[in-house]
Amino acid sequence: MGPLFALAAAIVPTPPLPPAPAAQSAPVISAALTDTTVQVKSDFRGARIVLYGAVFDAAARPSDVVVLVRGPDQPVRLTRKQRVAGLWINSRPVVFRGAPGFYRAASNRPLDDIANFGTLRRLGAGVDHLPINAPAEQHIETRYGVRDVVVSSLGPDYYDWRRAIVRLKEKAGLYHEDGRGVRFVDRGLFRAEIALPTGAPTGVYRAEILLFQDGKPVSRRSRTLTVEKVGVERALYVWAHDRPWSYGLAAMAFALAAGWAASAAFRRD
Amino acid sequence: MDIYLPIAQVAVNAPLIVLLGAAVGFISGMFGIGGGFLMTPMLVFLGIPAPVAVASMANHVAASSMSSVLAYGRRRAVDLRMGAVLAGGGVVGAVAGVELFRWLRLLGQADLVVSLSYLLFLGVIGGLMLMESLGAILRRRRNEPPPPRRDRRPVWLYGLPLKMRFPRSRLYISVIPPLVLGAFVGVLSAIMGVGGGFILVSAMVYILRMPAGMVVGTSLFQIIITTGLTGVLQAGRNQTVDIVLATLLLLGGTVGAQFGARASSRFRAEELRAILALIVLLVGLRMGLGLFLTPDEPFVLMPGMG
Repeated sequence: MGPLFALAAAIVPTPPLPPAPAAQSAPVISAALTDTTVQVKSDFRGARIVLYGAVFDAAARPSDVVVLVRGPDQPVRLTRKQRVAGLWINSRPVVFRGAPGFYRAASNRPLDDIANFGTLRRLGAGVDHLPINAPAEQHIETRYGVRDVVVSSLGPDYYDWRRAIVRLKEKAGLYHEDGRGVRFVDRGLFRAEIALPTGAPTGVYRAEILLFQDGKPVSRRSRTLTVEKVGVERALYVWAHDRPWSYGLAAMAFALAAGWAASAAFRRD
Repeated sequence: MDIYLPIAQVAVNAPLIVLLGAAVGFISGMFGIGGGFLMTPMLVFLGIPAPVAVASMANHVAASSMSSVLAYGRRRAVDLRMGAVLAGGGVVGAVAGVELFRWLRLLGQADLVVSLSYLLFLGVIGGLMLMESLGAILRRRRNEPPPPRRDRRPVWLYGLPLKMRFPRSRLYISVIPPLVLGAFVGVLSAIMGVGGGFILVSAMVYILRMPAGMVVGTSLFQIIITTGLTGVLQAGRNQTVDIVLATLLLLGGTVGAQFGARASSRFRAEELRAILALIVLLVGLRMGLGLFLTPDEPFVLMPGMG
């Protein structure tokens, strides 16, 4: 009976067990998303996705949970309006790299209370710690006898530019930092909501769920979320970008035919 | 009822866009113009990225001009030869304009050039038209006779080489002015997202001195060719034509244009011109205002061109 039982146990899929908590009493975090794909259709008005998870810690030490969701990286072109001879004119555009197309940091209390500056910077946790920079504007030189100093041609305004990216993306609903975005609903059980605006870029999103204890990340999980166009929207988008000339010709032929049809329909004689 | 635009990547209220198309179509049918100069700023105001608005307007203007030109063609009010010469220039202008616009976007100065073009062209043309039409209205109120029509064409039109006969318009002039005019309007159609009818019509009346009956039909014919090419080039080079947006505008625009054309018979020509001049002037000033006001947000993201 013994060997047979062992065989059955090997074949029958067992329900996934929570990651063995008691073993070394190492705290472990676990999480999942209610949806793993978001479909962008003609009625797309954004989406809300719920992330839920649990903290397994036998010792029940005080825990903090941080959820970081990053969309696909998109280089950002930014310009600043300057007054030239009484007119407000755009400056030369600056390209910034390392800016995700979507970013959300949610935590059960403000990030600054959870961990110190260095830890947050290393993890890219919080809009102020995103690795956004303008490589084309940077060069390395020796200043005051110090070698390999990174100098930006944007000068002391550099941080204004960087803050402007975050501010503009926040206004578009693409960046968000919420110090109360993770709620513990029961002992060790938490949930967070991810709101995608209409302008959310398509692609693969990565959600990192981090467990902090004593200001240190002790356990992490990552989940992916795919935002994709489907149906007619996808077909038109792919057509317009992969075969732009045939799309352009077809769109124009359609427009002219529609104009001709309208004229025929309203002809009074 | 919101609908997601696949190329613009924004959601818009579909009935609102159709209504906007109908309103601009009404004005365009009433005054015999394309209406692009009104529509493009409004689309931008509704949150559609300017490059998409400019490019999709080319499709919309081509369609609405197509629906009107057929009516003029049936009345034999299109000078095909003049239209072809204008369009020849228009083709060169459209190609140059699309490349120029692309280059301006790379420099980050597309906004500036668009605002300045609106301020300059709409301001000047609206102002001139307003003065001329108000003068005509005042003269009629005072029962003065209209000033004698100066039928003399500018002398320099005859000094230029490459003369050609345009029997429909009863003209024998050099092809250089219409070619240059066509090229100029082609550039504008790529940069401002307009058909250029308001410039073309005034230039044909006041510079080329074409017969009034031929002007609108011929201008529409040239606009179809120029905007048709612009639309294809914008799609091919910049991938900014949103066919869903163009279709929504078209739905309202074609219906509105028919009602506008009927309504126009209730007004006197100079009153119509005065109203149009006011609209043109206001749009031009509104677009140019942004250049002088201190912006709330000095930084601007330029999407779509990483």
